[in-house]
Amino acid sequence: MRLPRFRTLQGRIFAFFFGLLLLTQVAGYALTSTLGWSIMQDILAQDLRGGQQVFKRLSEQNTQFLTQAARVLTADYGFREAIASKDTDTIASALENHGTRIQADLMMFVDNDGTPYLGSGKPSSLEDSERVARLLAAISPQGETTGFARLGSELYQVIVAPVRTPLPIGNVIAGFRINVETAREFSRITNTDISFLSRLRDGNWQIHASTLPAAVQNKIAGDLGGASGQVMTPRRVDTPDASYLTLDVPLAALNVQNARVILQSNIDQAMLPFYELRNSLTFLGLVGLLLSSLASFIMSRGIAAPLRTLSQYARSIASGDYRSPPWLNRADELADLAHAFGDMSGAIAERESRILELAYTDTLTGLSNRAHFIERLATALASTGREGAPLAVVLLDLDRFRYVNDSLGHPMGDQVLREVARRLVAALRQTDTVARLGGDEYAILLPTATPSAARKVVNALQLALEAPMDIEGQLVDIQGSFGIATSPEHSADPTTLMRCADIAMYKAKQDNLGFAEYDTRYDENTLDRLSLMSELREAVEHDQLVLYYQPKIDLKLGDHHAVEALVRWVHPRRGFVPPDRFIPFAEHTGYIREITQWVLREGVRQCSVWQRAGLDVSISINLSARDLMNAELPVYFAALLKTHDCRPDRICLEITESAVLDDPRHALENLKRLEATGCKLSLDDYGTGYSSLSYLKRMPVCELKIDRSFVQNMINDSNDTVIVRSTIDLAHNLGLRVVAEGVENEAILSQLCLLGCDQAQGYHFSKPVSAADFEAWVQSPAWRDQVQVARRA
Amino acid sequence: MARQLCTCLLALAACLPLFADAATLSLTLRDERGNPAEDTVVYLMSPTTHRLPLKQPESRIDQINKTFVPLVSVVQRGTRIQFPNKDNIRHHVYSFSKAKKFEIKLYADTPAKPILFDQPGYVAMGCNIHDNMIAHLLVVESPYFAVADRTGRAVINDVPPGNYSLIAWHYMRPDKDALVMPVKIGADASLTATVRTRSGD
Repeated sequence: MRLPRFRTLQGRIFAFFFGLLLLTQVAGYALTSTLGWSIMQDILAQDLRGGQQVFKRLSEQNTQFLTQAARVLTADYGFREAIASKDTDTIASALENHGTRIQADLMMFVDNDGTPYLGSGKPSSLEDSERVARLLAAISPQGETTGFARLGSELYQVIVAPVRTPLPIGNVIAGFRINVETAREFSRITNTDISFLSRLRDGNWQIHASTLPAAVQNKIAGDLGGASGQVMTPRRVDTPDASYLTLDVPLAALNVQNARVILQSNIDQAMLPFYELRNSLTFLGLVGLLLSSLASFIMSRGIAAPLRTLSQYARSIASGDYRSPPWLNRADELADLAHAFGDMSGAIAERESRILELAYTDTLTGLSNRAHFIERLATALASTGREGAPLAVVLLDLDRFRYVNDSLGHPMGDQVLREVARRLVAALRQTDTVARLGGDEYAILLPTATPSAARKVVNALQLALEAPMDIEGQLVDIQGSFGIATSPEHSADPTTLMRCADIAMYKAKQDNLGFAEYDTRYDENTLDRLSLMSELREAVEHDQLVLYYQPKIDLKLGDHHAVEALVRWVHPRRGFVPPDRFIPFAEHTGYIREITQWVLREGVRQCSVWQRAGLDVSISINLSARDLMNAELPVYFAALLKTHDCRPDRICLEITESAVLDDPRHALENLKRLEATGCKLSLDDYGTGYSSLSYLKRMPVCELKIDRSFVQNMINDSNDTVIVRSTIDLAHNLGLRVVAEGVENEAILSQLCLLGCDQAQGYHFSKPVSAADFEAWVQSPAWRDQVQVARRA
Repeated sequence: MARQLCTCLLALAACLPLFADAATLSLTLRDERGNPAEDTVVYLMSPTTHRLPLKQPESRIDQINKTFVPLVSVVQRGTRIQFPNKDNIRHHVYSFSKAKKFEIKLYADTPAKPILFDQPGYVAMGCNIHDNMIAHLLVVESPYFAVADRTGRAVINDVPPGNYSLIAWHYMRPDKDALVMPVKIGADASLTATVRTRSGD
């Protein structure tokens, strides 16, 4: 499982449900909390009010006790008699007696003169005579008064009742002291915390009794502050230890400014059951969350897992494994998808086998193609390699097939190729493999064939091809060159074995042998070629190439000079490498483009150097077929001219007819673009190819070079003379200049002068020389003399 | 205060020679607010009055409807008083006063013995059962006394001519006299006086 899960469908489904549940839970939790608190607050407030009522009743009950006790006492004849007779002991005992009955904390009598008589209660409370006096002063002289009074430092719930004999003679004061016990008792019944406070004259509140912890008491007392009005609304008091909802209830204060009872409910304690409920709910919520997470996880996996299976299946299809689709144990859309995948896989497999068939088959002949053949060869070699069995590869290239194609046309050529295929198949065994590698090249795999067996097969094949073919009434003679390579003698590697057969076949073709068996000696050339490539690249990059110039002599002896630039390679080890050793190779490999660019660069540079030196020389530079296909060449060439500030009409680009014929449309287009730079164009080696007048007419050339083979044979062969003459006439009629190559002696030169040839080039004048040598040569009168001698002849 | 009382005094000297043997003193008493001073006890004292014989040896204070009747009484020292119970419930008459401490425990009808009041002074009487029952009795050393009626009128009869002190007393102000003034009795006379009935000063 990857870490950023939300990237996956499963993760998203899971996250969505999990998030939704979490949100619900959190909302529920928040709602419960808010509601719980609000409800709890109401309940607590109600509790407090209830407590207040209960307190009121309890307080009244106490008052009643006191009242009854006081009444009984004040009505007692003996007591009154004792008072009347100031019988102190009797008074005290009566007070004591009645006080004990209701367990009063205070029971005293004060006569109208203010003289106290004590029954029970602390003696200290009597010392506070001022308070007693104030208490008595505060009460109505008629009847009983009840309330809360402070005596000494303590708060009492008291009754003050007059004693009549029968006129009022004094007052009985009976009271319950408010202490922690009282508070606890009240607290136990009201079910709230309870505190009694009275306000001293200095404005501070004294706590007389409380069920609260001391810290909370002080906080509550501090909070009351200057409060004097009736605060009957529950309010919240927060202390560091706990929070309380409190309700202040004023008491009937007799001899103090203010007295209060404060009822408190511990919010935290009250909330405890709620907290427990909430915790339970939270726990349930978490469990629910966990379960539903699990459920959503399983559900999302139920969706995502088949998808993953299917995507794995799709990947296996991509890698070419067309097994049947994974079985999803379900009947929903995903199962449909799996079936669809299966159908698709089947269709792809079918199409692929068809494509493979096409890929391995040569459509023209129905034989295997190169790819198939190489595969077969590799397979055969792999098995023979193990068994050590012999094997032979035979390559066949038809001789002069190009002529067949050119003369009879491609449809006929194709029929020839098919006929060859048919004959080869007919001459071979079933186990042998015949393939057409391309063009007119065939390959035959002879499994288990020893070299001698291979030779016999080749002989048989030669015989099979010998009989003329009747192609649409035309009899065509076909010969081929066979190359034989055998395993394990030559190689056990398919590529190498093929190359060996190829080399043998070329050897056969080159030496017109009919067939040849591979020999390591043949390979040297090839090895040469292989290293040539890298060396040639080095040559271009390290300026190992030089240009030599062969003069093109104006037979009318004008002031204008022309040369043909010919590339020379001065190899650091091999020394001088002749052009025919590397130019065809470069043309073959395409490296000719780099060479041509180098030659153009050097030629243009030299041309501009000569121009600046006052030497007016046109330089001809050869372009290959590949160069003509290079659409960037005109741009490159134009840039070169500009860089070297070279007159474009002093550069003549020489092309061969065959180069144009490969792809006339592109070639002609490129030629026009080259011509547009202002340079001259020349048609080289005229007469060697399949010269077509129609192309000649369309090509923007201004010069035509007659191939040296015609020129050199002019003296001996009158036919060649005719060709040269007619070519010169033809060119002149088309407005072209004619150059003859291969002028090697004076006789030829004379003949050419006679025929009206414009320029001549050859060893008769000079071999290709370096630039410096050419400069020296052009100054000498020798060549002018040669021309004049020839013209006189 | 004395000055104020003197200004209130009216002596009708013209009447004095007409009745040489005995005279009647008619008093109209008003309180500080000018209202009739009901239940004010008035009596005349002279240096000889305490030696005079009992003019009326017995008196009576009834209990009717849980009330002492009359509320206020005045008697000459040595008088015996009966406390007849006219209610059909029992009473328990008592007094803790210095002048006379006594109790007649729960009884009905008339008690066997009347109570002798042989000391001058104020006697507050109550019923031990009924807290609201109070009676006020002033025991004086003179046979010349009266209690003001609802209109504030009090009549002292058969007073021999001579110089007396007219003393007024009210139960609301039991510790002090409400009025003390000299009067000369000659013939029948009428007198209007203001008395202090309120306690507190």
